[in-house]
Order: sequence, then structure tokens, then C-alpha cells
Amino acid sequence: MTLSALSVMAWRNLWRNRRRTVITMVSIALATMLAILMSGMQDASWREVIDTAARMGGGHVTLQHPEHLDKPTLSRTIAGAEAKAARALHEPGVRRVVTRIVGQTLLSTAHDTFGAGFVAYDPTAEDESTLSLLEALSAGRPFTRPDEGGILLGARLAKNLGLTPGRKVVYTMTGKGGEIVTGLARVTGLVATGSPSVDLGLCLLPIDAVRKTLGYGPEEATQVALFLHDNRDAAAVARTLGAALGDDAVALTWRQAQPELDSFIAMKRSGALIFELLILLLCAAGIFNTLFVSVIERLREFGILIAVGFPPARLFGLVMLESAWLSLLGLTAGALLVAGPYAYLNRVGLDLTQLAGGEQNMDIAGVGMSMILKISVYPESAAAIAAAVITATLLAGLYPAWRAGRVEPVESIKLV
Amino acid sequence: MSETAPTVVELDQVVKHYRQGAVDVPALRGLALRVSRGEFTAICGPSGSGKTTALNLIGALDRPTSGRVLLEGRDLGRLSRRALSQLRRDRVGFVFQAYNLIPVLTAYENAEIVMALQGVPAATRRQQVMTLLAEVGLTGLEHRRPDQLSGGQQQRVAIARAIAAGPAVVLADEPTANVDSETADRLLSLMEQLNRERGVTFLFSTHDPRVMERARRVVRFVDGRVDDDRSKS
Repeated sequence: MTLSALSVMAWRNLWRNRRRTVITMVSIALATMLAILMSGMQDASWREVIDTAARMGGGHVTLQHPEHLDKPTLSRTIAGAEAKAARALHEPGVRRVVTRIVGQTLLSTAHDTFGAGFVAYDPTAEDESTLSLLEALSAGRPFTRPDEGGILLGARLAKNLGLTPGRKVVYTMTGKGGEIVTGLARVTGLVATGSPSVDLGLCLLPIDAVRKTLGYGPEEATQVALFLHDNRDAAAVARTLGAALGDDAVALTWRQAQPELDSFIAMKRSGALIFELLILLLCAAGIFNTLFVSVIERLREFGILIAVGFPPARLFGLVMLESAWLSLLGLTAGALLVAGPYAYLNRVGLDLTQLAGGEQNMDIAGVGMSMILKISVYPESAAAIAAAVITATLLAGLYPAWRAGRVEPVESIKLV
Repeated sequence: MSETAPTVVELDQVVKHYRQGAVDVPALRGLALRVSRGEFTAICGPSGSGKTTALNLIGALDRPTSGRVLLEGRDLGRLSRRALSQLRRDRVGFVFQAYNLIPVLTAYENAEIVMALQGVPAATRRQQVMTLLAEVGLTGLEHRRPDQLSGGQQQRVAIARAIAAGPAVVLADEPTANVDSETADRLLSLMEQLNRERGVTFLFSTHDPRVMERARRVVRFVDGRVDDDRSKS
């Protein structure tokens, strides 16, 4: 008896109790839909978090001084930063490369002093796609030249300092040789991301103005930030670049540069994985029940089949094929069921602004995230879900299939 | 039956006990029986006399407590599970009281299932099964499923299934019990015809006087032993 004949028999067996099959199929479909939506939500959210964090921080891959991660002082610089940036731009998967100076500063007015982080960037090389703070400009204007004497302040920081666009502020830094250096800047604009940690503790400066204040060379910077088309390529790009860099720089992935974000995402993903496994387990329990009851109802029939020479292994295979059909049906139904909601949530998204009391952004691990929840599942996540559903269905079929192959015909047929 | 016809079935001092809870129930107590090729034999006897047990043992569905069961000279007690499965497939045909067709298969598919298991090529299968279905009077009903057939028609499919692979013996358990008299007569005529024309060996377990009347040999069991064994001329 061929596999195709056995498959036909399994298919027909499945429809002997239509209601039960449909209920099981729907439960697999719902579990698939839920898993796809959850994974899509996670994939999209974490992609957005990682991309936003990259745009807020040092890109998906960061080139910096080997000791800068542990001791992030302004004395640990990369001398040929621009040349390294030009080299990095040729790497496959790299979308943009920018050089920056990143550090800590003390901002002072006549009335108050506050500490803040700063990012000094080249306004002719960067825009919102590399520096997310630029899209949160709430007042004033962005820089136009890398050497202008301006500063963009976080909105809450500006409020604390009592500053508005047009007013002046003194920034104080520790220079390359450990000396205290100061610069004067006029507030060019304010940024309001909605993330308290950002709005309270960050400012932007033009890179050449800072280079001059710190006494850096024209190509000197603390950071070369690489932006990739896909954050999942970060490790490969960092590996390739790391091998090509000299001793004065290392290539770090966003995971290495922002380990707290990586841990946060890993923790959240683990929680979601446990939830998804629970869904799968419930789904598998339903499938097990369906198959087991269906086997118990057919013991006599299995006895007949064994009596006419059906090998027990083939009966096992028959029930496993029924299980496989169920999983394929459930997956197909799940794909059809999820297509509509997925398309809507992928294009339009779910506006959670009202739920967040009107806030336009939420703070996730220090990263300002949009309140419009969109979903987008990675192909490998969808494949993993399909594989998990098929595996769970087949595992759920193992015992019923084994039971079918163990039928004693003399007991089940009861000749008289 | 010719005296020289080879023995197909031989039961040699077969004892079979069943456990029912803590009680040991003897079903066969030293049964001895020989069935030769081409016989049309009915086993009769009161309930509990061991008819079913004997058929189960001959059909390799069960093993004796002691004694030997031989099918075409092969001692079934010495065969592995796998070998017994192959032996049932190739050398034994079953016809059950309740037809016991596979509900998801058509009449044609039910009749061909044993040949399919044997790996007979599809074209050969088709030719033989169609011939057989015509022989049992089911031409035109090949694509019907069991629930679309009458009891008599289902039993005809069961008979076709039982003899399709050319077994050494067909074990028929109360084959007429679930059908009306007219259908029973037709089924018996069909089996007589197959016995006569194809030389198929039939061994019935029955309470039906019509079967006993048409059988050429009637063996009566009492208390797990042969009480009477009569062949008709």
C-alpha cells in the first residue's frame, strides 16, 4: 500500500467526524493566528526598538576606541574616523555611516547647572534616519552647519535650565588631555521625544564646534555609527569590520554596545516564548484528545485491518498521517484567518495613544517608542511557528498512533 | 472431498485457557481437527463450545496455551508477530458476522486492500478485483462506500476481500447471521460457487441450520472438543 493511498485513507478518516475535525482545525488555526500576531508584534516592536536605539545611540554597529565601552571618556578617540567610515560604507548590508562625538557635559546658565549626555553630529551628513532625536524637534530649527555655535536641548532639560530657543548656555566637558574645557552655544531648538530619560538628559551639538572645543583633529571622533538595512546582520558586519580595523578601534554590535537593551529584549522574548509554548501546549492537548478519541472509537476497525495483514507500523503511520493532515489544515486555516488582521495591523497599526493617556510615545528601556502598534513578522519567525505547530501536532499524535499499532485484533474484533 | 487433498489446517491437541479476573476459563481442551484444501466445512456447537477460539487460533489472531496450530504445515506458535501478520495477509481470508468493511474505503478499495498490502501492481489489482466484484454480483457498485450498500452487498464485498489475495483458507464467522433468509441463501450459493470454481477452502463458525445444511462437512464442538464430525457424500 503506497504512501499516497495511506494519505487518502487518513484524509477520509479525518472527515468521518466533521465537527470534531473542524473544531480541532479551528483551535490549531487560532493558535497559529495568535502566535503569528504575537510574533509579528514582537518582531516589529523589537525591530523598532533596536532601530530607534540605533538612531538614538551608536547605530547597529559602532566603531570606537577599544577602551571606550568600559571607560567612555572623551580622551578615547578614533583618529582616522572619517576614513574608517568610508571603508565601512562598502560593507554589504550597510545603509549609512556617520561619525560622532559622544560624551557627558555640564550645562550651565546664570541660574542653574545640569548634567547631560551629548551627541555631537554633522548636520550635513545626518538626518532623522540616523538620529531619531531630530524628528522630535518641538521648537526652533535643526543645525545647518557642523561648525555653528548652536545646541539642541531635550525639552524637559531646557525647562529645568529655564532656556528657550535663542538663549545661551555654557557647556563644560573634560577635554582630550583631562583638562576642563568650555564652549558657549545658543539654543537652536528643543526636542521632545516623550521619553523622560531622553528629554531630561540629552542634548545635541554640531560636531566641528565640539571638535574645536575639545581640541580634536579634523577627522577625530569617539564613534563611527553604522546603520544597517537589517539589524540581524549586525554580528556579521561587526565581525568583518573588526578583522579589518587597526588596534585603535573595535567594532561592537548594538548588543555589545547596549547590553542592557539586549538583556531587556531577551527577557521579554523569553516571557513571550513561554506564553507561546503554553498556547502550543494547549493546542497540542486538543489535538491529542481528538486523535486519541478517534483511535479509541476505531479499535475494532484497527483490529480488522491488523487481521487482514495491515502491519502495526502502517497503522501507526496512518494515525500520524491523520495528525499531519490536521496540522496542515490548521496551519492553512490559520494563515487564512490571520491574513486580514495581519494586513491591517501591518499597514495601519493599532493606535494605543488613548490607552496611554494621550502620550504619543512610550519609553521602553530608555528608547522612545511610537504608540501606534504595528506588526511585521520575520520569515524565520513564521517558519518557526509553522514548524512548532507541525511538531506539536505530530508529537500529540504519537501516543494515539502507537496505541493504534498495539491493538490486539482478537480483543477488538470479538469474532462472536 | 478427495482423500488425497493436502491438509490446510491442523489443530493438534490444542488447549486454550483465558483469564477472566482471577478465574482460569478453559475454552479448548485438547482440540484436534484437520481441514483439507477445498473443504466447505461448518463448525457448529453451543455458545462457549470453542468455535470462535478455534477460528481465532487458525486465523493467527491468537496463540494456544498448549498444542500446535498448523496452517499449510507451518506451526503458527513458532512464528514472529511480523510473520503472523504476513501470514494473515497472504494465506487467510476473514468474513465477519458484522461485515467489518473499512467505512472510508469504497467497495473496490475494500476488496483490493489485501492485494495492495501485498504490493500487487495497480493494473493487476484492478483487473483481478473487477473480475471478482463481477463474480460476487457487485458490478456497478464499485465506488460505493459501505454505508451506501445493503447488508448482503456489504457481505459480498467482505467475501471478495477475503478471497482476493488467494488465501489458503477463508474463515467465515456467522456470515449469514445479519442478513435475511433470501440474502443468506444467495451468499451461501456464492460461497459454494467460489468453493467449487476457485477451489477456495471455507471454514464456517455457525449456528445457522442453512449453513450446516449446505456445508459438506459439519463438525460439532462441545466443551472445547470435537463431539461429532460428519462429512456428506
